[in-house]
Amino acid sequence: MNYFFHIGRYFWMLGKVFARPEKHKMYIRQLFREIEGLGINSVGIVVIISLFTGGIMTIQFAYNLMNPIFPTYLIGLGTRDVLILEFSSTILALILAGKIGSNITSEIGSMKVTEQIDSLEIMGVNSISYLILPKIVAVVFVFPFLVVLSIFFGLVGGLIVGPFVGVVSLTEYIDGIRYLFVPYYVTFSLIKSLFFGFLVSSVPAYFGYFVQGGALEVGKASTRAVVNTNILILLFDLILTRLLLT
Amino acid sequence: MIEVKNVTKLFDGKPAISDISMQFREGQTNLIIGRSGSGKTVLLKCILGLHEADRGEILYDGRSFTRMRQKDRKEIRKEVGMVFQGGALFDSLTVEQNVRFPLDMFTLMGAREKAARVDFCLDHVNLTGAHRLFPSEISGGMQKRVAIARAIALNPRYLFCDEPNSGLDPETATLIDDLIQMLTREFGMTTIINTHDMNSVIQIGESILFIHKGEKCWEGTRHNILTSGNEVLDDFIFANKLYAQMRKEKNGSH
Repeated sequence: MNYFFHIGRYFWMLGKVFARPEKHKMYIRQLFREIEGLGINSVGIVVIISLFTGGIMTIQFAYNLMNPIFPTYLIGLGTRDVLILEFSSTILALILAGKIGSNITSEIGSMKVTEQIDSLEIMGVNSISYLILPKIVAVVFVFPFLVVLSIFFGLVGGLIVGPFVGVVSLTEYIDGIRYLFVPYYVTFSLIKSLFFGFLVSSVPAYFGYFVQGGALEVGKASTRAVVNTNILILLFDLILTRLLLT
Repeated sequence: MIEVKNVTKLFDGKPAISDISMQFREGQTNLIIGRSGSGKTVLLKCILGLHEADRGEILYDGRSFTRMRQKDRKEIRKEVGMVFQGGALFDSLTVEQNVRFPLDMFTLMGAREKAARVDFCLDHVNLTGAHRLFPSEISGGMQKRVAIARAIALNPRYLFCDEPNSGLDPETATLIDDLIQMLTREFGMTTIINTHDMNSVIQIGESILFIHKGEKCWEGTRHNILTSGNEVLDDFIFANKLYAQMRKEKNGSH
């Protein structure tokens, strides 16, 4: 019953989010602020995680393909496909749900408990739309770029680590990442990123907006937001994979 | 003028406020007083539309707020300024941006006009030179003054203050009270202040509504509050030892 209440209220919130903005100029200004705060500021962590994961994946593929019947270039191919199909969209979304999601919940939640949201409402501002719409648009817009960046740096990670530890030569690794490339995999990954971007921004915003109490509740709401966003990301990953890859 | 007619608000079927009626006149400071949990914040939130009254009516200069559509309520809200207990300034904006926010959102003013209005509002609350500071960089008293400056930015007809001097030292609290009264008179606003601070009551209480256990218990002014003869009100006022002493001395002198 409680679960249905949250689903209903989440969709009610989305209805308010996409209401006509009071002043477009203010929303656009807010949008650029969010693109910088939520998107550009996430580039560093995306690059670091992708570099390391690409390197680790290359070593693990090499370890699992030790049998001489497997050509070594499969290490590059495997790293590439895992990065494109799953890591750079889904796993990255799970990681960013922690970073961006908790940021959104705590920001909106703090505004709620310090009456800043009441203040907006009394001024006649649609606080849900003003606070949440720019965040959703910013994250949905930025997510595909982060996914492409993650794929690139993941492959670079493998390129550096593979030859460095001696599990694959530079030429074979590059041959591998060029071998049997399916462009649709990238499209699939980008489609997923749009859905995940929406979840990573809207679900934590919901938990932040409806928080009640004080600082302790804001912390709890952040945790709940990240957990629920992660579950929804995995659920949608399953659905989208079934729908788009069969 | 804001008129409250027989307003009742229920929470889980139990009345938080019951059958309250009152007229809050323009150009004067109207106070709602009462103990913590007496229902004064609920009444204020009903007047502001943050809570929906279950019974009764609220009128803003004859316009029924309770029967209005949300769209029309928004128009009334543009005539409202609000000072929250904690200031409720936007953390991510500077003092100047906070005061300019309603102007950015609801007016078509040019940059120069807005800057002039921001300066005007900040001058009125005796706050100059703090334009570029963030709320976290200024004191509680200054935050309250910025909140007042933001509340008057759009030249409101109605000003609401929820415990405006809580958490402030007595001197700053007096300054804030004087400031609110001065602005109320200067701009002819209908001001409603929610407080349980007796100093404010004696200093600026031109019209006072006393609520006890969710019901209207007494109505009057600062001139007759100390001699009301209302037992519940007396218990509230003379819980303060200073006022109790004053009463004792006064009674002794007669």
